[in-house]
Amino acid sequence: MSSTVRTHARRPLLSNFVCKTVMAVTGLIFSAFVLVHMLGNLKVYLGAEHFNDYAHWLREAFEPVLPYEGLLWVLRLALLASLAGHVACAALLWRRARVARGPVRRRSLPWRSFTARTMPVTGLVLLFFIIFHLLDLTTGIAPAASGAFEAATVNTSHAYENLVASFQRPLVGVFYALAMIVLGLHVAHGLWAAANDLGATGRRFRQVAVVASGVVALVIMLGNISIPIFVLLGVLK
Amino acid sequence: MKLTLKIWRQDSAAAAGRFESYSLDGAGEEFTLLEALDKLNDTLVETGQVPVAFDSDCREGICGSCGVTVDGVPHGPVANTPSCRQHLRSFADGSTVTLEPFRSGAFPVVRDLAVDRSGLDRIIEGGGYVSIDAGTATDADAHQVSHETAEAALDFAACIGCGACVAACPNGSASLFTGAKLMHLTLLPTTRQERGQRATGMTAAMDEEFGPCSVIGECVEVCPAGIPLTAIAGLNREKLRSVLRGKTS
Repeated sequence: MSSTVRTHARRPLLSNFVCKTVMAVTGLIFSAFVLVHMLGNLKVYLGAEHFNDYAHWLREAFEPVLPYEGLLWVLRLALLASLAGHVACAALLWRRARVARGPVRRRSLPWRSFTARTMPVTGLVLLFFIIFHLLDLTTGIAPAASGAFEAATVNTSHAYENLVASFQRPLVGVFYALAMIVLGLHVAHGLWAAANDLGATGRRFRQVAVVASGVVALVIMLGNISIPIFVLLGVLK
Repeated sequence: MKLTLKIWRQDSAAAAGRFESYSLDGAGEEFTLLEALDKLNDTLVETGQVPVAFDSDCREGICGSCGVTVDGVPHGPVANTPSCRQHLRSFADGSTVTLEPFRSGAFPVVRDLAVDRSGLDRIIEGGGYVSIDAGTATDADAHQVSHETAEAALDFAACIGCGACVAACPNGSASLFTGAKLMHLTLLPTTRQERGQRATGMTAAMDEEFGPCSVIGECVEVCPAGIPLTAIAGLNREKLRSVLRGKTS
């Protein structure tokens, strides 16, 4: 036993357990959202009219129970709250982990833990991507958005034309594709970590969770990546 | 064979450490890492130098006393093997091997390669007590435990508390260790009663000195007892259960 007298640190308001649980739950919300978002994006292959109708339907969904854009605002507020919780807890845990590890960092780390180790980096890239994506295709603020951006009206949406105009800029198209790879890496480890954080101990469930994490991440990544690629190839126009 | 050992030398927890290189001649491939250190220390003592301090006891991989970082990896190049069972045949003749203490903010260096791992003891203390009657041995069939459950509990109980999981973790987390303890005691009927308070107490003690888990999984690669990552999910499950239930049991 050590002879040093330890002073007990004051317990933080948000324990590691609370932070990890918040990150797991909000992470699952994000994963469900990006999966549904990707499925919606695939409607781009059904043509401009179909895609724009879908974008318009999202605005007037569940009227008159919800007001115009009601569903969108419910989702936006839920996602914004989740983002705040996810990022704040991530920052707290990252800081605590560095303090706990001490000055000598772990070296000789192999590729097998690459996605896990790069979570803070991929997370920051995604944060930047989300801001860019909102400026580009939601608010239409240049220089993120293309010059051809047209905002949706009460009667119609220009989602298809905006998307194609944006992705036809080569740098932006490539950035979207790269960001989706980063998203895949983040989701692949995130889902598996969430299963562990929420206490999945069953052998069968763990086997399913580890495979499902990879498959869901890959499906989201490939589904989304295909769109800028087909725009850049001139298939979608 | 001939090896160059680059060894971390540090006089005390307060002193600054530095690497020093030693040449080791005439050690056999069948030498364990600790035997190589023994041989080096013999030479150091003969020449009037201070021997390298390191922890060891049973030297057969069951006590959890030993533990040095070899070329950046806790315990050494062979996975799931304690330092005392790592052999020199893992290294090429004439190569340089870097030996450091287990690295973690929670493991202050006592001297050279020996660290203070009493933070792990404080996690155990945080777990409190178990209500087992310490009298005459009870009948063997007093508690019905299925074979699978008994085996699972014993697998988690295999943890020897060496602290390699903490040293392997980029976050300095002791989640694998704590999870193994909680799961081992939760699976058996005799020690299940204090399940809730044990989960609360151990996680609180753990959070005071160790980092949070990011499910990186480096711990299970070095663990000499082969504790699976399930232990970490078990730790979270037990804590979540105690929070939702709000009882000591």
